Amino acid sequence: MTSVHSPLKVVVAGPVGAGKTTFVQTISETLVVSTDVEASEDIGKLNTTVAFDFGTLRLDGQELHLYGTPGQDRFSFMWEVLCEGALGLVLLVAGDRPQDFLHARNILDFITSRNPIPFLVGVTRQDQGRVWQPSDVALYFDLSERQVVGLNATDPAEGRGLLANLLELTLTPLFAPELGDTNPRSF
Amino acid sequence: MTATLSKQDRLNATLSTLRTAMPELRGVLVATVDGLPIAQAMSDGTDANRVAAMAATAIGLGKRINDTLGGGELTDMSVSGLTGQVYIYSAGSKGVLAVVVPTGVNLGLLHMEARDTAQSVANIL
Repeated sequence: MTSVHSPLKVVVAGPVGAGKTTFVQTISETLVVSTDVEASEDIGKLNTTVAFDFGTLRLDGQELHLYGTPGQDRFSFMWEVLCEGALGLVLLVAGDRPQDFLHARNILDFITSRNPIPFLVGVTRQDQGRVWQPSDVALYFDLSERQVVGLNATDPAEGRGLLANLLELTLTPLFAPELGDTNPRSF
Repeated sequence: MTATLSKQDRLNATLSTLRTAMPELRGVLVATVDGLPIAQAMSDGTDANRVAAMAATAIGLGKRINDTLGGGELTDMSVSGLTGQVYIYSAGSKGVLAVVVPTGVNLGLLHMEARDTAQSVANIL
C-alpha cells in the first residue's frame, strides 16, 4: 500500500461545464494553478480550461494532489497525461445537463480503459431546480448507487466528503484489485 | 485592399509570407487560445485539430509558468526533439501561432519572422 505520507494523485474529469475547475478551486487548500482562457465558441460560459487545474489538500492526514482536466474532447491527450500515476478519479457531470451524460460516459470509458483506477461520479448543481438525482444517474451509468454522489461543486464540505469516499475505495483492495499491479511504489 | 479580405484570407496570406521567408518550415498553424484551429499549412497526415489543442495547452501552461517565475508577458514556448522542434508563439489575447521546424534552422531569423507573423495574426484576430 502507498504510504500515508506520499501524496495521492486524484484526477477530476468530466464534460464542459460540469464544475471541475470550481470543484478544485473550492476544496484546494493551496492557491490553484489554473489555465483558464476565454472560450471562443459558445459553451454556456466565458472561460474554459486548456491544460489543467492543480490544487492540493490534506484529508485525514493524507495529502491529496488534485488535477482538473479540460472538458473538450480535443484535449483528450491531457486526460491521458494527467491520469498517468493517478490513484483515483472523480467524474463530474452537471445534474441539470442530461445531454452531457453520454459525453461523460465516453470520458469515463476513455480514462478507465487506459488506466483502470477507482472512481466516483459526482452529480453537480444539486442546488438547481430541475436536476437529476444521483440514483437516476447511477442507473444511467449502470453503476452502484454507492459510486454516484450528488454535490454542489461550490460546497467545500461536500467536496471533501466525496474525496473521503473515493479515498476509501482507493485504499480498499476489494474495490481496486488492480491497485497492487499498477502501483510501483508499494513495497 | 486588405480591408475587403476575410480574416481567413488575411491569415492565410500572413502564413504564406512566413513560409516564403523560411521555406524549410515543416508546418505552421494558427489556433484560438482555447485550442480551435483557424488557419494552417501543416504537412499531410498531421491532425490540425490536435496540434491546435496542444498549442493552446502549451501556451496556457507556459503563461502560468512564466507568471510564477515573473517573466512578464509570455512570447513563446518551445518543444525540441532530436530531429525537429516546434515553437509556439503567443499571438495577442486570442490567438496562438505554432511553427514546426527541423533542427538546425536559423533560430534568429525564425524568431524575427515568426514574431512578426504572430503580431500580424494578433492584429487580424
